[in-house]
Amino acid sequence: MAPEISNLSMFFLIFFVLIPVSLSYIYALGLSGSIVWSSFRGIVQLFLIGYVLTYLFSLSPPIGISIMLAVMIAVASLHASKKGQGIPFVRVIIFGIIVGIALLILAMWLGFDMIDFQPDQVIPMSGMVIGNSMVAIGLALERMKSEFRESRGKIVAALALGAQPQQASTILIRKIVKAAMIPNVDGLKTVGLVQLPGMMTGLILGGVPPIEAIRYQIVISLSIFTSVSLAAMVATIIFYRFFFNKQMQLAEMKNDEA
Amino acid sequence: MEVVAINEGQSLIRMENVSTAILKNIFLHVKKGEIITLIGSSGAGKSSLLMLLNRLNDPDEGTITYRGQDVNSYDIPALRKSIGMVLQSSSLFDGTVEDNLAYGPKIFNEWDEKMGEELLQNVQLPTSYLQRPVDELSGGEQQRVAFARTLANRPDILLLDEVTSAVDLKNVELIEDFLSRIVPERVQAILMVTHDVAQARRLGNRTIFMDQGKIVEEGKTSDLFANPQTEQLQYFLKE
Repeated sequence: MAPEISNLSMFFLIFFVLIPVSLSYIYALGLSGSIVWSSFRGIVQLFLIGYVLTYLFSLSPPIGISIMLAVMIAVASLHASKKGQGIPFVRVIIFGIIVGIALLILAMWLGFDMIDFQPDQVIPMSGMVIGNSMVAIGLALERMKSEFRESRGKIVAALALGAQPQQASTILIRKIVKAAMIPNVDGLKTVGLVQLPGMMTGLILGGVPPIEAIRYQIVISLSIFTSVSLAAMVATIIFYRFFFNKQMQLAEMKNDEA
Repeated sequence: MEVVAINEGQSLIRMENVSTAILKNIFLHVKKGEIITLIGSSGAGKSSLLMLLNRLNDPDEGTITYRGQDVNSYDIPALRKSIGMVLQSSSLFDGTVEDNLAYGPKIFNEWDEKMGEELLQNVQLPTSYLQRPVDELSGGEQQRVAFARTLANRPDILLLDEVTSAVDLKNVELIEDFLSRIVPERVQAILMVTHDVAQARRLGNRTIFMDQGKIVEEGKTSDLFANPQTEQLQYFLKE
């Protein structure tokens, strides 16, 4: 049985906000306003999502799951696309990538009988996959921009040797996908040793035996690993083209070098 | 379109009234056997001019022909293979010297392992360097590998963009010696951007002086330096 936190106990959370606000005041960090605002906003958002989830869990699984996944993917696409401003159709493409990954992972969970097609299982687990895919795509886009800037000489050298854009980009694609995967590889190495993962913590607090909680954690950790790798790779393979024009030149190269 | 042969005396490259945001009304003919040195202040448009020749950039106006055909009619990778370019920084790819030398030929399915040793001999590097990671080489050695990498594509024309600006004197001498030996047997013509006026004098048989995107003065290298006609060039040479 999950332990309940009383309203009075929740009220005392105010101390958890007052400490950083005081530090900000003492050291003149100028963050007091944003600490209070983001804490308030976070609390309201979480309560609202609690009520929304309660409602969605009461609907039939196909409807509840579809509505929530659509909202999560739309918000994730919108957020990740901010990193790719200037790239044509960036939102639509990212939406497509995340839909594909979310459906693939969901199909694997259901196909291998890892979870049931129930909102209380599919929604939180898919949320983690979608959220991590969003971060991976955003990082891939940022990294791609910086790699095209920093490795511009190598790209130009490859084009000058007769490479097509896809061949010239191979060196960068490797780097970008690797950069997206490394945090997950490192994270998996220390999982459970430094801190207990959020999902496992939640299940244990909810009264699930640790061994059972670990099974869910392994499923979600490896699912996130797969989705992050796929998201970074697919995003990179699709978006590198927009850095070149049809004449196999770097798109931003025109007239910017004397 | 594949690269075609030209008649004796016909220009390899012709730029007719070419303009970009930087370059203004450029006319340039390049003939077989020429080493053309391009000089001028930073921002004069020298590198921009080179990049038009292998289509790393395109002009807004004017035409560029290579062996009598518009450059736009060529297959772009084939054109870039035929008009090779070495950049200011060596821009070597991660991996070994051999990985770099094989990069171009592998694109065109022309790599033969025997080529590696010959290419290194050309630029006076030991053949034992083939398996060395490029980040273990000195700056001068890296630039010589970059030369060999471009030569591996067997280009007809070589575009050099300030290739000796970041290397030591010994490597400058080696590179200059090599360049003076390869025209016209290995390479039919060289266009070389250099900030080093003495180098332009040593290597060029024709020199072009550019200023603010225009060709201000050009001529036989010895005449140009002995008797500069324009105030801009006279001022540039005094600097």
